[in-house]
Amino acid sequence: MTRQPDPSASSHAMLLPRRSFLKSTGGLLTGAFIAAHWTQICDAAEHAHSSATEPAPHAPFLTAAEKAEAGAIASCIIPSGATPGAREANAIQFIDTALATFMARLVPEWRAGMAEFAAAFRKSTPGVASFASASAAQQVAFMHTVDRTTFFNTMRTLTVLGTLTSPSYGGNRDKAGWKLMGFVDLHIFTPPFGDYDRDYKGFVPYPKGSKS
Amino acid sequence: MSGRTYKPEEMVDFVVVGSGAAGGVMARQLSTAGFSVVVLEQGPRMNASDFVHDELKYSFLHGITNSPELNPQTFRRTESEKATQPGSGSRNPLTYARIVGGSSNHFTANFWRFREIDFVERSKLGPISGTGFADWPITYADLEPYYTMVEWEVGVSGLGDAAPFDPWRSKPYPMPPMPVKSSGVLLELGARKLGLHPQPAPLAVNSVAHNGRPGCVHCGFCQGFGCEVMAKSSSTYTMIPAAEATGRCEIRPESYVFRVETNKAGRATGVTYFDRDKRERFQKARAVVVCANGGETPRLLLNSASSRFADGLANSSGFVGKHLMFNQGAGVYAEFDRPLNDYKSVQVSRIVHDFYETDPKRGFYGGGGIDSRFGPTPARWALLSYPGMPRWGEEFKERLAAYPRTMLAAGHTTSLAMPANSVSIDPTLKDAWGIPAIRVTYKDHPDDLKISKFLQDKCLEIMQAAGARKTYLDPNEESDGGVHLLGTCRMGNDPKTSVIDKYHRTHDVRNLFLCDGSSFVTSGRGQPTMTIQALSFRAGEHIARFAKRNEI
Repeated sequence: MTRQPDPSASSHAMLLPRRSFLKSTGGLLTGAFIAAHWTQICDAAEHAHSSATEPAPHAPFLTAAEKAEAGAIASCIIPSGATPGAREANAIQFIDTALATFMARLVPEWRAGMAEFAAAFRKSTPGVASFASASAAQQVAFMHTVDRTTFFNTMRTLTVLGTLTSPSYGGNRDKAGWKLMGFVDLHIFTPPFGDYDRDYKGFVPYPKGSKS
Repeated sequence: MSGRTYKPEEMVDFVVVGSGAAGGVMARQLSTAGFSVVVLEQGPRMNASDFVHDELKYSFLHGITNSPELNPQTFRRTESEKATQPGSGSRNPLTYARIVGGSSNHFTANFWRFREIDFVERSKLGPISGTGFADWPITYADLEPYYTMVEWEVGVSGLGDAAPFDPWRSKPYPMPPMPVKSSGVLLELGARKLGLHPQPAPLAVNSVAHNGRPGCVHCGFCQGFGCEVMAKSSSTYTMIPAAEATGRCEIRPESYVFRVETNKAGRATGVTYFDRDKRERFQKARAVVVCANGGETPRLLLNSASSRFADGLANSSGFVGKHLMFNQGAGVYAEFDRPLNDYKSVQVSRIVHDFYETDPKRGFYGGGGIDSRFGPTPARWALLSYPGMPRWGEEFKERLAAYPRTMLAAGHTTSLAMPANSVSIDPTLKDAWGIPAIRVTYKDHPDDLKISKFLQDKCLEIMQAAGARKTYLDPNEESDGGVHLLGTCRMGNDPKTSVIDKYHRTHDVRNLFLCDGSSFVTSGRGQPTMTIQALSFRAGEHIARFAKRNEI
């Protein structure tokens, strides 16, 4: 069992700002200092937990038609239902931000892929103007025919990132993706962590020379 | 924390290239021995407060690792192929952290010692045709005191002599093992049912406060991330502050060394590097120690060719860059009935080393270790695409919801040293500084894939014995890159078949030393950093002794 400093020992420790604490340490703290500054250690963990990078502000990037198509594809990849899907996580906002900023290099390939996807859909489903306007059954049927293409893989990656990475990038709204996965968004945990280690009796050493 | 500074034109005793697992220890060893030391690091310096829980940045946007845009590399399977850059969005074939502290910042911190057999396998097993399989020029006994130094001075938690076949040790671990996780309990349960010997994993993470650093807070952002509370025993928090505290060592970040300079007498005179403004600088030094990792160290030597050293510096053997080893491995994702919540805390809490040694009865070379781990953080986990895994739709969503009920049993195995597997210089590609880029040539030996599959089968048996209700197998494919960069400037007694001697001095240049994963002769079983740091403690001690005797 991990022994950790007593949190109650740190009532005066808030006098030292978190950043000063981190910069003062350099790995040369004493055990007593750690015990006295447990609050700052927790604070450092919380800071790391909450300070994901925020992308630069940008104008809306996707056209309305692209947004509808990409949003429908994302919803097909992680559907809505009893639990949140890509739509509830606002993955499309992440995709817009990513293509406008830190994944801009993907844009030419992505737009060509989208055009190819749309054309293939119209050919396979006559009378339906777009993937976004198709029924769920039509969408799923078509998706089975393209789910090994490069464009699908790119959309799958963008959808997952938009649903499951930090909300600071525009997706994972209200941490919907993490809730879907059962990922608890805290920065410090203590054992037991799960059901199987809760009742663990401890490691039993082997008798000498017991290798079979 | 910062130590003293030197001007580039100022002669220092040692310039150390690289500040990672090996470079940090080297800086600490040489500066505490009384020498002036400048450490030049490619990347920036980051403090604990700079590390964040941002999966997108660290795992997908090369937040702290070498990037294919700025530091591109090429890859080919065999020497007859033209090497190409990986596709858009892929990482480099050789991946490492490009910040002060290097890959010791984001490593998994699995700190297994090598065993006695690792150093003498060639003598015990005989030759293997077509390979560079060889003994090390040192033994486990030579290195044991330095493994102990790593455990106590860098900081490793664990349980000594936990299994009957553990290598002998002169001292217990300084800290108890990390708390067991549900994945560890299940690995232990399954393995014991099969008559195996699971044991607590040694980790370079503080389980309790040690050497002035706190115990782990179990945040779960360990593999691939820097530690924001300094519980992980990265060079950044251990060796580098110790070196700076001597008042004789300067860590100079954003200093990208691209050439080791030599004079007419064939001695190293210092290194040329780009500073943060891309200005060329020259740091004078009495001796040069390159600890740049198994990819960048051979690249630097090959890019330092001159009229005297036409095939690259210290390369009279032709072995610089050759015998690249990654460590093979394959695992099994297993789903259980109840929550494990394995995204909490460190990666690994139990290991199984029953299959460590080569068993001739298997019919192929190799061995390995198995560990329990949670695998990656949420988005990387969701993007896994193993056979049978749903990739979209309702079934994919069900798989996502199973995240807290899953774990990975991973096999970590050997790679044979093959002359054709190499780091060389790409004939056309250059990086953002105009320096010729790394070209990787790599094809696994058939035995590497066989042992990987063998251990994966054992992982599957263990998970099934533990009660897994669903399993997915890693495809066990050929390597197209790695993070364990080993063997490319191997040590040996014969200058014709090795680059450095057993004290890490290059055979060709008396005042040039190399120490990192490139020094390895064999690959070990997949967790090399412990041995890299033990080698660096040992090398630093010997290099300091040579310097004091004026033997450099």
